[in-house]
Formats: sequence, C-alpha cells, structure tokens
Amino acid sequence: MINQDKWIKSLPKINIKFNEEKNQVDHYRWVNTIPQKNTHNNVAWRYPLVVILFVCGLLFVAVVKNKTRNLEKEIYSLRASNNVIKYNLNQAILDNEVITSPENISRLAKEYLNTDFIYYKKSQIRQLYDDTAIISKLNKKNNNLSTVKLNEKSNNLSTKIKSVIKKKIEKKKTEIRKLQELYSNPQSIPGEVKTQIASKIKEKKIELKNLYSSPKKIITLERTWKWATVQIAKLFLGIPIVPGK
Amino acid sequence: MKKKSFYFEDYPESALIDNNNNSNIVKISLNRVTFLSFIFFSLILIFGIKIIYLSLSPENSFYNNNIEKNFVKKRRDIVDRNGSVLATNVILYDVGVRPKLLKEKEKKNLLIKLGLLFPELDLNKIKRKLNKEDFFSIEKRLTPNEKDQFWLMGNKAFVFDPKPSRIYPQKSLFSHILGQTDDVNKGISGIEKFYDEDLNNKEKINLPLSLTLDSNLQYLIRKELINAELYFHNIGSGAILMDVENGEILSLVSLPDYDLNQRVSISDNIYTNKITLGVYEFGSVFKTFTVAAGLEHKVISPNTIFKNLKNSLTCDKYTITEHDKLPKNLSAEQILIRSSNIGAVRIAQKIGVEKYKDFLNTLGLLDTINFDLEEIGTPLSFRWGKCKLATTSYGHGITTTPLQLARAYAILGNGGYKIEPSILKIETKSLKKKEQVISHKTSNAINLMLRKVVSLNEGTANFANVQGYDVGGKTGTALKYNSKAKLNTFVSLFPASRPRYVLLVMLDEPKPAPNFVYEFPPSERFPNGYKHKGETRNTSGWNTVVVAGKIIEKIGPILAINNLEASTNF
Repeated sequence: MINQDKWIKSLPKINIKFNEEKNQVDHYRWVNTIPQKNTHNNVAWRYPLVVILFVCGLLFVAVVKNKTRNLEKEIYSLRASNNVIKYNLNQAILDNEVITSPENISRLAKEYLNTDFIYYKKSQIRQLYDDTAIISKLNKKNNNLSTVKLNEKSNNLSTKIKSVIKKKIEKKKTEIRKLQELYSNPQSIPGEVKTQIASKIKEKKIELKNLYSSPKKIITLERTWKWATVQIAKLFLGIPIVPGK
Repeated sequence: MKKKSFYFEDYPESALIDNNNNSNIVKISLNRVTFLSFIFFSLILIFGIKIIYLSLSPENSFYNNNIEKNFVKKRRDIVDRNGSVLATNVILYDVGVRPKLLKEKEKKNLLIKLGLLFPELDLNKIKRKLNKEDFFSIEKRLTPNEKDQFWLMGNKAFVFDPKPSRIYPQKSLFSHILGQTDDVNKGISGIEKFYDEDLNNKEKINLPLSLTLDSNLQYLIRKELINAELYFHNIGSGAILMDVENGEILSLVSLPDYDLNQRVSISDNIYTNKITLGVYEFGSVFKTFTVAAGLEHKVISPNTIFKNLKNSLTCDKYTITEHDKLPKNLSAEQILIRSSNIGAVRIAQKIGVEKYKDFLNTLGLLDTINFDLEEIGTPLSFRWGKCKLATTSYGHGITTTPLQLARAYAILGNGGYKIEPSILKIETKSLKKKEQVISHKTSNAINLMLRKVVSLNEGTANFANVQGYDVGGKTGTALKYNSKAKLNTFVSLFPASRPRYVLLVMLDEPKPAPNFVYEFPPSERFPNGYKHKGETRNTSGWNTVVVAGKIIEKIGPILAINNLEASTNF
C-alpha cells in the first residue's frame, strides 16, 4: 500500500498555504492552455498582406508605366515630328529671307518686270497732262514706229517667197484686167455672164487684197491644199502616202 | 495489469518554462520573417525606386536626342525693325577622314569619287594626307545638302561633325553693324560682340534681338552709294539715316563692305566702319553749329549783317580764304547759305572761345559717344586758341565721327532735345523726360536756314531739293590730312518745316565727274529744270548732294513722309 502520508510528507513544506491555494484548480489557467488566437500569428499575417498589397501596387505601377510608356513614345514621336516641322519652318523662313531680300527682289524685278516702265517725275506728268501737242507728237512717233515695224515684217520674208508672191499678184492683176476688159464690152456678152464676170472680178480683187495683207498665209494655204489633193489622189491610185513635209 | 499512473502538477516554473519556450520559438520565427521580409522589402524598395526613377526621367530616345540637337538654338537671332532676319544659326558640317579605316584600294576609289563629285578639291593634298595623317578635315561649313553628297558616297572613313554656325541672309548689307562670330559662336565684332552675352542668354533664346535698322532703306541707300562710285570714283563712302526724335538709326552704311558669310580676316583700313569709327575733319558742315551758337548766345540774329568781309584772313600760320567770290556784306543767314568761311570766323569771334567750346560740347561733338558698337571713334583732342576758334568755326582743325555729327544735327532739328543714337529697338519707350539743350527758337531758325541752303539758287545744295520732301541741309568739303584728296559731306534734315529724319552722306576721295549729267531741279528761272554736263568742280554740292538727293527721292515714299506736293495737287 502506498503510504500517502509518507509521500505527502516528502513534499516540500514551504508555502503550504500558497500551494494549497495553488493546487486548487484554476480554470483560467487551463483555459489559457487552450491554443488561442495567437497575437504573434496576427503580426505574421499582416506582413504578407502588406507585401501582397505592395506587389499588387508594383504590378499596377508596372501596368500604368507600360501604358504611359506608350503614351510617352507617342509624345516623343509627336515631338520629333514637331521638331522636323520646326526645322522645316526655320529653313523656309531662311529661304524666304533670302528670296525676299531687297537685293534679290530688285534683281528679279530687273529680270522679269516690264522694262518699258519709265520713271516719271511728278513735274513731268503734269506737263504731259497739259500739253496735248506732246501727246500728238507721241502718237505720230508711234505710227511711224508701226509702219517701220510692218516694213521690217515684210523684209523678213525670204526672197524666194517674195518672187512667188510677186508673180501671183501680177497674175491676179492680169486676170482682173482681162475680166474688166470683157466687162467693158457689154454688147459682146449676155447679161447673165456679165453678172458672173462682175462677181469674179470681186473675188479676184479680194484675193489680191489678201495677197497684199498676208501673203505668206495664202501661199502656205495653197501649198497645203495642193499637198492634200495630191495625197488624196495617191490614196485612190494606191500609191503609198508620203508624210507631209 | 499494471496501471500506469500519472499525475501532473502545475508548477509555476513549468509554466514559466512553457512560456519561455513558446516565446523563444515565436521570437526565432519572427526574426526569420523579419529578416526575409527585410530582404524582400529592400529588393522591392530598390525596384520601386528604379521604377519611380524610370517613370520620372525623360526617355533618352536616340532619334529624339538627335533631332533635338538640330533645333537647339545656341544664339539668338537678330532681326531688323520689320522682323526680317539679319542673323541666324544653322547647322553646318565639317567633314573629316580617318585614313586608317581605308585599304589602299579604297583610298584610290575615294580619290576618284572625290575628284568626280567635288572637282574644286585639291586631290594631291588629300592624297598626301591620306597616306600620312590619322585624321584630317576635307571641307568645313558644309550645308546639309553638301554633307549629304559626301554621306551618299557611303564611305566609312568619313566623319561628320555638325556645328552650329551663324549665317547672314542679307550678306554684306549690314556687315559693319552686325559683325561676326568665331568658330565657337562667340561674337568677335559689331553687334555680335557688343551684345554677345545678351545673344547667348538661354532664357531669351527664342526671342530675336530687334534692331532699329530697316533692310529696305539700307538696301536703297547702299545701292545709291555704290552707284555714286561709278560716277565720282570715290574710294569709299558712308551714310546714316536717323530719327531725330528718338535717335533710332534706320540705316547705317559704310562702303566698301564685305560678305559676312565669307569668313575672311579683314585687316585693310578701308574696311573700317566709317560712320562710327572713322574720325574726320568735315569742313563747312560745322558752320551750322557756329551760326547756331551765335543765335543761342544771342550774339547774332539771322539778319545780323556782317560788313566788309574780306576775301582772305591770316591767323598765325593759317590763311583762311573763301571757296568762291562772295558779296562783301552778308547777313548771318547768308553766311550759312553761301557757306562763307570768313563770315563764320567773324561769328565765332563774336561768340568767344569758351562759349563756342561749350556749345560744341553740348552737342556731344568732342567726346566719345556711347553707342551699341565697340567700333567707336574718339574725336582728336586739341588746344583751343584764337586761331583754333577761327578754323573750327568753318570745320577745319576739328574732328568728330559722322555718327556724332548726325546726332548734333538731329538735336538742332528736333527742337533742341538731347538724344542718344541707338541701334537696338526698345519696345517700351522710356518715360525719361527729354533734356533740352538748345532753345526752340534757335532750332527753328536753323531749320529755316538749312532749308534755304537747299532751296535758294545761291545755296550750295540745290541738287537735294527733291520735290515734296522739303529738304534742308548743309554741305561740307574738307581736305584730308596731308593730302589733296577730299572728304565731301552733306547733312540733311527733312522735312525742314518739322524735321523727322537726319541723313548724312559722305564720299571719301570723290573725283570730278565731267561725264555725269546733272539735272537741276525746277526753279523760277528754269521751271522745268535743266541738264548740265562737263562739270569739273569737286565740292560737296556737286557730288554728295546729288547722291543725297537721289537717296531721299528713293527712301521718301518708304518713310511715308507727307509729300507736300502730292497732297496739294492730287
């Protein structure tokens, strides 16, 4: 048998009262032994949460940065094109300055503007306005100038053409003379023919007039007509057409 | 069965042990977590900082950087009063070669290509350098197009060095005013030097420096001066056009000039700025000041008669004579109109040395002028005496710059108010009260007299009587020091009734022009004017005045002065 007392006595005797109190079941103490929600665990969870939030923030920043980088690229490209435009503008301004410099303008004016422009002083203008004689003199001068110009024009025609025209004119003149002779003897011709002769004389006179006014044109016209008829005849005969000269 | 007995007892120590164990475990685990999280946070912090740095810092795109470089202005533009660009910066290229990068065959090919594309290059020199040097420059200051020609050759040995360079679209039109810059864009003369700091001011880099000059007026005046060289064979000339109210210079020409875009060192004295740096004896133009001083000090009036004027005077070693045969009795006004030397001496004698000297100082003729250029001349100093007074009264033995002379006339013409000539346009007009140094009465009297010098037959400046512009002025013919060559000047104020502008024209060593057809303006005797040829006189009235007249005729419409004749007849 176990001697209880013996065992009990073996226990240390100090603070018996305290032990007694202590040996009483302290339910609070036991309750405390139950694993509770650890305050340390709470701290441990807070960190990952912050980390997760931070990482999320970083990711968010990364995404935003990616987007802004695209925007930045666009801005840079726009800025670059803006710079190119600025550069071109600078160049254009510089070109404009050179082109519109007084020196260049006066050079161009000398080259392209009407050189007939004469500088008149105010006093000269007034005199011209009053003095009609000067104006008539100027008109006369102009007329003389025009006749001189006409003569020059006719001189320009080659001698060959001139001889052809001369012959033509003489031919026309003889034709007109003959017709006039016929017309002057009314007894020898009937009335119908007489009117025909009169119209022919008129035609010949017009031709002669044309010869005088624009001789070159008539020759060229006649030549072209001749050339055209020859080509048509060739066409009918089956001869190959030679291209016009 | 042996029953295992157990008991447990809650010792306070065991509880403590339990607690200690638990807290130790927690502590260890906490330390580990903190350590790991510390590292983790540190890494995150580093990356975070990097991300923030990247997001805040501008992107260093190569393309963008290169383009930016081209447009960054290193120096402000210079523009005239109408906004026309007078000086601007562009990128020019220096092309160099690194022969080490070329094989022998390639060197030959390069020489052939260079010879074909750029025949003006010295190929022998390049050939020598190709074999000897590590690096050498072929061409400098190439335009982008010229650089592209090199670039298109596709040779790896070419090195292109872009450099911001200053160019002047108006070439030689403003050469004496604008000046030049060196290779590092630093001003070395003219406005470029005087306003170097201001032109390099980064804060104002996009704002051009505005000048008071007008390109069109400058061109017309320069053209007339060049034409004058054809008739009068002068070695140089100068002209200045100034607003008498505020001293703004509208045109400043000095011939000969040079193309600012051709960088050559100009050492010949002939290329100095005659208007600001040149110091000359001007002759009779000083008579105006003598008469004005007499009027101001109330020693004379325009109608004061000077009787028995001799034909010549002797003072010490100087013999003073008249330029022409003049009447013996002349009024003060007539002395100025007919430009009588003896008459001017008599007026000066009446004024006295001190008063006359003070008057010239008031007009700023004897000191160095404050101006927007560094090329400024200083009048030669001399000792005043009785003879000096006599000679200075008609403009001999006294020197000044054309700029100061023009300013003095402007002061006389604008009612007597002191002005400072300026080339820099100041938008905000200063509210500084004008200082009056000469009375209105004197100013008006002088304006009237100067008009008569031009309008009256006995005046010396009839050729400047341009209809409608009411020109007044004074001629000056002077002999150059130790030489028989002349310096002819004409200073005009127009319209004389209320002067707005002063024009000074100066011809350096003009010659008589017998082949030149002089057209006299209409007068009472010749209502339609008349032409004259074969003139052998070489005084200001026969050359400088003619040039000034032509200039006023051309610039008058641009200056938009109310043309009196036009307004009354149309």
